[in-house]
Amino acid sequence: MQESPDNSAVIQFQDVAYTLPNGRTLLSSINLTVNRGETLVLLGRSGSGKTTSLKLINRLLTPTAGEILVNGSPTATADVIRLRRSIGYVIQEVGLFPHFTVERNTGIVPRIEGWQAERIRHRVRELLQLVGLDPSLASRYPHQLSGGQRQRVGVARALAGDPAILLMDEPFGALDALTRDELQREFLSLQQRLNKTVVFVTHDLREALRLGSRIALMDSGRLITILSPEEFVQSRDQLVSAYVQAFADGFDFVARRGAS
Amino acid sequence: MKSSDESNRRSPVQLCHVTILVLAVIALSSCLRSRSNEIVIGSKNFTESLMLGELMAQQIETHTRLKVERRFYLAGTYICQQAMLSGRIDIYPEYTGTALTAILKEKVGSDKAGVYQRVKSEYDSRFHFTVGPPFGFNNTFVLEIRGDDARRLNLKTLSQAASYTPNWRAGFGYEFMERPDGYTGLAAAYNLRFAAPPRIMDLGLLAPALKDHEIDIAAGNATDGLIPAFGLFVLEDDRHYFPPYEAVAIIRQQSLQQHPEILQPLSDLGGKITDVEMQKMNYALDGQHRDAKDVAREFLHSKGLIP
Amino acid sequence: MNLLRFFAENRGQILELTLEHLWLVGVSTLLAVLVGIPLGILSARRPFWNRPVLGAANIVQTIPSLALFGFLLPVPWLGDRAERLAILALTLYALLPIIRNTYTGIRGVDPAVIEAGRGMGLTDRQLLFQVQLPLSMSVILSGVRVAVVVSVGLATIAAAVGAGGLGEFIFRGLAMVNNQLILAGAIPAALLALCADFGLGVLERRLRPHEK
Repeated sequence: MQESPDNSAVIQFQDVAYTLPNGRTLLSSINLTVNRGETLVLLGRSGSGKTTSLKLINRLLTPTAGEILVNGSPTATADVIRLRRSIGYVIQEVGLFPHFTVERNTGIVPRIEGWQAERIRHRVRELLQLVGLDPSLASRYPHQLSGGQRQRVGVARALAGDPAILLMDEPFGALDALTRDELQREFLSLQQRLNKTVVFVTHDLREALRLGSRIALMDSGRLITILSPEEFVQSRDQLVSAYVQAFADGFDFVARRGAS
Repeated sequence: MKSSDESNRRSPVQLCHVTILVLAVIALSSCLRSRSNEIVIGSKNFTESLMLGELMAQQIETHTRLKVERRFYLAGTYICQQAMLSGRIDIYPEYTGTALTAILKEKVGSDKAGVYQRVKSEYDSRFHFTVGPPFGFNNTFVLEIRGDDARRLNLKTLSQAASYTPNWRAGFGYEFMERPDGYTGLAAAYNLRFAAPPRIMDLGLLAPALKDHEIDIAAGNATDGLIPAFGLFVLEDDRHYFPPYEAVAIIRQQSLQQHPEILQPLSDLGGKITDVEMQKMNYALDGQHRDAKDVAREFLHSKGLIP
Repeated sequence: MNLLRFFAENRGQILELTLEHLWLVGVSTLLAVLVGIPLGILSARRPFWNRPVLGAANIVQTIPSLALFGFLLPVPWLGDRAERLAILALTLYALLPIIRNTYTGIRGVDPAVIEAGRGMGLTDRQLLFQVQLPLSMSVILSGVRVAVVVSVGLATIAAAVGAGGLGEFIFRGLAMVNNQLILAGAIPAALLALCADFGLGVLERRLRPHEK
């Protein structure tokens, strides 16, 4: 397993398991650490448990065994609202509030945190520019935006409260290939600027190789291995190489990784 | 798309406006219901009540400056009482016996004056209604037989007729059969025995059935217009079984305070209508199909109450 | 036309009874909204309450209105004033459409929106008042619309137990076999229902949120 050079652990999974009330086990004995400033990709096919793992971090789900620590404190005893407000959350369907303008959507966390109106307005403008949107879109409604624009707003919204941690669940999965490519590149440049700690869920190996500083492969609720992108494509592990095979034509990404 | 944006933004505001509008309608409708220079007179849904209502209406119209609105044919005692309580009507004609049993829910005696006093005082204290003086007739239940039979058998009272009942067929209305102060009590009070169970018929069919010898004795109302018309004879209630049903005006005291001038014209009607006169008025409407307004005007004129 | 003249001559009484009618419908609808929307919210957020709440409202709905009025007559306090029991009965009948539509509206909100909201750290209360209710407004209002239209109709029957309103014209007209009187009650009642239906329909459309 790859050891990251920066050793401040932001998120820790300790022997985490998650079983449904009907007995079905979705996760078993997950142990991993997410380090400050890294982008950890949870990679796997559907049903592998990657989304479940993500949701355990901001306590949308509660582990049935084991413990999760965020910044050293167990999530189980933390104030769940405070926890969630300090973590940015981006999902595939975006989930913008249809009855709010872009501005109100983006500024929702600051607003419920009680920021001054002027400060919120300023922050929203800042964020829209950050994610590459024309600030004039602030008064539009979600149904008036394209898919790519909506997801950018989703990211802006997640960043509004300046959280140190960002959870992203297949955020670009519903977009067309060109837009996806665009947003991936922008994500990389954003990460370089902001240096957030990101946990990124995807089933797409190319996306994982491009965006992740480490890739955690999951299968059937178990963590198989955590490797750097280079190690991943060269690994002899059965499951890993099966995955790589399935994405046969994505190799040169490793060499040309970065915001080209 | 711009208008829908604006409406999305303004929708909570619009919702407030709608709520305010609804509340305003409710408030408005509750206070507009108090009228200023108008009196509303109600009546129940049968001829006699209608006649009394019309008589009272014309009295007030002639002797005061007030407009009278007629809200006749209300379906029953409870409806009228509710209308009075909520102020939808100001006056309506009621019977003392009915007031005592149906509204005050007390057992009734046969003492006319006592019943009247009880109703008067209870209506005053419980509902703040004033009970006017009795109009003069007693529309109680009566047992009626053919005039011929009365003369032939020399019958005047119910006690006398009781001995003939085993040979007679009786006809009664639904209500009379059901009411505790109806058939059951009567049969007990007078030891009445009929060969066959009494026939239950529509009130309007009793008198014709009597006339046509389909039945020999029936229970009707004292002021039924068909009594003189068919030559029927009313047996005297010598054991005073039937409670008194004196017709009176019931008036809201609040209306009296607003319009004290209505009291005199209504009181002037006191004692002016006999049983026979009421029978004749009822017959004029039911039998002769005359207009209530004309009949009322004629009667009031004949009594010197209106010019 | 004879009818128009009748209406003109009796416009005072017609107005008065119309206002009585509005009073009955207005108060009962308001009460039904105040009780029904919270109950709808409860059954939407705690599935346990779904069956009992909707079930109870359904049972009330199946009782014939005149029978319900009759049941309530002997009840102390309620039976003393026909208006009270009429308003209670009308409120009960208005509950089902309002509860059901509130439930449907809230459950119908895009789950992605709820998940995003929760994940961001909105409390349950904030989620309800800032997201779920505003997005359900149109559906809830459609339930209110049904309730109002039904109430206008039922209120005409309330006159049978002495609560007044336009139904009184109808009952009196029937007793007197007077068509004009019947129409004096029936036409304004129908117009009231139509106006309420139309007006609330317009509002409902304008409140509809925009989907993708």
